[in-house]
Amino acid sequence: MSTPVLQLDNVTMRFGGVVALREAKISIAPGEIFALIGPNGAGKTTVFNVVTGVYQPTEGQVLFNGTRIDGTKRFKITKLGIARTFQNIRLFHNMSALENVMVGADAHHKTGAIGATLNLPWHRKEEKRGRELARELLDFVGIPGRMTETAKNLPYGDQRRLEIARALATDPKLLLLDEPAAGMNPAEKEALQALIRKIRDSGRTVLLIEHDMSLVMGVSDRVAVLDFGQLIAEGLPHEVQTNPRVIEAYLGVSEDAS
Amino acid sequence: MKGNGVTGNANPLRRVGALVDGARDWWEHAKAWQRYAVYLGAVVFALILPAPAIGTFMSPGSDWTTVLIYPIGTYILLAVGLNVVVGQAGLLDLGFVAFFAMGGYSVAYFGTEYGWNYWATAVMGIAMAAVSGVILGAPTLRLRGDYLAIVTLGFGEIVRITANNTDEIGGARGITNVPHPTDIPGVVDFGLLPAPYYYLIVIAIVLVIIFSVRLQKSRVGRAWAAIREDEDAAELMGVPTFKFKLLAFAIGAMIGGLAGGLHAGRAVFIEPNTFPFILSATILAAVVLGGAGNLPGVILGAFVIAWLPERFREVNWLKDLLGRDPAEYRILLFGGVLVLMMALRPEGLLPSRRRKAELHEGTGGMGTMGAEVTGPDTDVSTEAAK
Ligand SMILES: Nc1ncnc2c1ncn2[C@@H]1O[C@H](COP(=O)(O)OP(=O)(O)OP(=O)(O)O)[C@@H](O)[C@H]1O
Ligand SMILES: [Mg+2]
Repeated sequence: MSTPVLQLDNVTMRFGGVVALREAKISIAPGEIFALIGPNGAGKTTVFNVVTGVYQPTEGQVLFNGTRIDGTKRFKITKLGIARTFQNIRLFHNMSALENVMVGADAHHKTGAIGATLNLPWHRKEEKRGRELARELLDFVGIPGRMTETAKNLPYGDQRRLEIARALATDPKLLLLDEPAAGMNPAEKEALQALIRKIRDSGRTVLLIEHDMSLVMGVSDRVAVLDFGQLIAEGLPHEVQTNPRVIEAYLGVSEDAS
Repeated sequence: MKGNGVTGNANPLRRVGALVDGARDWWEHAKAWQRYAVYLGAVVFALILPAPAIGTFMSPGSDWTTVLIYPIGTYILLAVGLNVVVGQAGLLDLGFVAFFAMGGYSVAYFGTEYGWNYWATAVMGIAMAAVSGVILGAPTLRLRGDYLAIVTLGFGEIVRITANNTDEIGGARGITNVPHPTDIPGVVDFGLLPAPYYYLIVIAIVLVIIFSVRLQKSRVGRAWAAIREDEDAAELMGVPTFKFKLLAFAIGAMIGGLAGGLHAGRAVFIEPNTFPFILSATILAAVVLGGAGNLPGVILGAFVIAWLPERFREVNWLKDLLGRDPAEYRILLFGGVLVLMMALRPEGLLPSRRRKAELHEGTGGMGTMGAEVTGPDTDVSTEAAK
């Protein structure tokens, strides 16, 4: 078996008394679409935050392509090849869609102050390439007509796609999507499903957090279920769907909530 | 914003605002030759500006060319430098005068003690300012908002007080007989006449503007804008935020140092009190008043702030009205005008569209100042509709 793209090795994440993740073990193979589901507050976003370096795990290790990345700076993790979107959209709201994506593309650019002030050739080349890449990606995610529009003026669904385009611009090997379908209508969800497949087919691995079960069941190769910070099930979508512990977790929460 | 509701459409500055928006739209779609025509026009304007005919109106009380060099030109240079830090990277710096002092003292010290060529001392001044910017920034740029403001304020004072207490650089007496810029044979002689210094500062301003615009349009400028809008998201998109903030500090400092070097070379005499805290505040006021982040606005702001107190020196109708010399009240008048302008155009005289929106939202820029000016009645939708 090839090295997993991402491996969480007994990761525990505590916030004071709250245990957001308890000895989580996840292993994602290259080219997979892997879904992470679970009730609200189960610790799904915390997994993303631990993987992208927002938090350093209290215990355990995070391995990306076999190398340890916990404790690495956030922007370096991005450069290594992990990019994400956010549950609450965090675009650069007052920049144009194109500029948003160009910031992502800049992750691999070298131009500094000197290249820019003297307008040196490699700087111009990078600018041109970044702009082209941004255009292609806006086209790829299905919003080619929004280039010059200010991000915050875009409809919700398009903002989610723009976030995906911005993340893709960093050329990630692993893309993390945090509830990308939230706030989308059925037609948009359909398109999103196709987009996620297209991203995988372009040679990337996708880790997906999603509440929409039909999307999860339709698109993912494997599913893991978190409940109160603990992994309670993992397997093929239909296996997980019929797992009694999973059903209990979901029902249990709705009982608590009522 | 509330202010707009109160003043409503009767506010003549609103119509000015519409004109400005129109001009900006035109500029965004202007062809290359049209832009170059505007640049050329601006340069020609700068060249004929010292004309006595203009001077009699602009500064009846003092020599117009001298006023154009200091305070006007120097303030513009400083404001463009501070704009890199405050307007572009969104970091609140209350001690910018420290870099002006570094440049000034470098030129004065290396010129008088070691007899260095002026141009070498000026380069030294820029380098010293950059180094001090990095020294200040490295430990403090991890702080956010208010804390950064306080530390920079302290730094400005430390530099001044250190100069005051260091006998090697003249202590409280300062440094006299700072050499003038070395003449360039056959081109220009720097003596007591102000004109050559004026053209020198114009060249400096033009260069700094070109650099600043190029930075803004590059990866560097995008990184600054991203940091201003959402520092965490920027970092997660691969922007080394600390490095770029430090860069903004260093570049701002270099421009401040350049201004200091030019100033010392003309003024011949500098002392610690040439670099008071109030100058930092004044330059910050120029940036905010003009419209942080938007170069034409910042330049206009610096011009207004530098020029108004000079203009109020000699206002005959006011003299008749008050029955005494308004020169005594010029700072009061100046303050009144500033308050009035900020009340009528709270985003600045010529705000950049993006910064305007950010200020309305209370995100980005100037530490948490942006957040503090907004409240529940902030109307983001009007901005979004534009
Ligand atoms: N920075 C933090 N400080 C304290 N507690 C936190 C922090 N981040 C997350 N938590 C807690 O950790 C738990 C898991 O949160 P997380 O955001 O990962 O849940 P989630 O599965 O993404 O939920 P949702 O479906 O609502 O997005 C929650 O109880 C949350 O309150
Ligand atoms: Mg979440």
